[in-house]
Amino acid sequence: MKKLFKEIHEAWLATQFTGFMSQTQSRQELYEFSNILFKHLTWIENDFIKQNIEYSYDINQVPIRVDKLSSMLHDIIRRIELIELTLDTCKDEHITFRMRSDLNYMKSVLEQMPDEDVSSAFNMKKEFPNITLTEEARDALTLFLFEESYKEYELIMVYNYSKANSDNAFLNRIFQILIDESFFHLRSFGQMMAQMGILGVPRSLMEEIYKFDNLEQFLKDGIQEEIGAKEECKRLADAVSSSSEHFASFFNFINHQENYHIALMEEALEYIINK
Amino acid sequence: MTADALVMEHMMNPKNYGKMEDSNSVGMGKNPQNGEKVAIYLKVRGEEDPFIEDILFQAIGCTTTIVAGSLITTEAKGIHFSRAEELVSATLGLLENQTPEDAACTEMVALALKASLDTYAEKQKDSDFPMISYHIKTDCTPKEESEDEKTV
Repeated sequence: MKKLFKEIHEAWLATQFTGFMSQTQSRQELYEFSNILFKHLTWIENDFIKQNIEYSYDINQVPIRVDKLSSMLHDIIRRIELIELTLDTCKDEHITFRMRSDLNYMKSVLEQMPDEDVSSAFNMKKEFPNITLTEEARDALTLFLFEESYKEYELIMVYNYSKANSDNAFLNRIFQILIDESFFHLRSFGQMMAQMGILGVPRSLMEEIYKFDNLEQFLKDGIQEEIGAKEECKRLADAVSSSSEHFASFFNFINHQENYHIALMEEALEYIINK
Repeated sequence: MTADALVMEHMMNPKNYGKMEDSNSVGMGKNPQNGEKVAIYLKVRGEEDPFIEDILFQAIGCTTTIVAGSLITTEAKGIHFSRAEELVSATLGLLENQTPEDAACTEMVALALKASLDTYAEKQKDSDFPMISYHIKTDCTPKEESEDEKTV
């Protein structure tokens, strides 16, 4: 079942990042399929927890550099077929019946999906269509997107692990909001990376990142990191404001979203301290 | 390939990243200032003149650390221990030319490689020898903060 878990995790990332490459309506379909695969991941995870089985989020790197969308679609179908082969290692028939049906449908849609040239997602040009950035702004933006796309993936997995292993409704409400927010940020940053020709899948997580003993310290560190991210968004908004009003307002928008994340983490922190 | 393109390549697709389940040595480089760390896993072959058959790394750190890890592990793959020791020394010798932030990341990776080589050597004498961790010496705290800290 651990192999199944790992394969679903890798298929989820492959599907999500293929969505970033697509510039047609296939993107939305790929986003929906990646959502489904993420749900499958959480269901298998819950089964691990119910059975008291140790598990991790270790995965292999997910290669995505292709010229044609069809190459990734074939890769996702291959990954789905591997999942199907190991599905019986999960003994919860309700989950496996549902998953088999989802995977079957996804394969039939992926097989029919139109091809696209996606080579521009990897051309390393670091340029935005119709926007001229200074070299300094371009480099700052590139580094920001690499750091933050990894960070958002990390946060999704950290909060997901915390939520899966907690039965506290108050904290789980906060964790779920933070997961949803990180998904939105990951998608925003991933799309920007593809447009700039620098798309890459985040690296896998070291176990100690999500298997921590001290939630209080994690939240304290997290608040500081969010404050740092806010500052970085503000710096980027300033750096790109002369080149693009749209970019500047986007980074201000992200910056202001971080305020609520901080408020939620402070709420969780206060709850833990007063418990 | 230009230097910028090479760095981009390693940013987009880090080489040798991940956890090695069947490694026969692991070493760690740590930055005690901010908790960042790098683990390097080795699969070593050859008793008389050991060489690195395979190498992987994992990190809690920034993009610079990942690029440094990707570059250094690529260089270290397939070489003998004596060459790997030279690689560590040469890398540490280049730190002066880098910004403190970049130097701290590079030093962390070089020390992780050194730690994994040293752990392997110790394990040959005592198979229960624990993983070695080395702390970096480079101070990557921004200048203003260092001065503030001194005044406290």
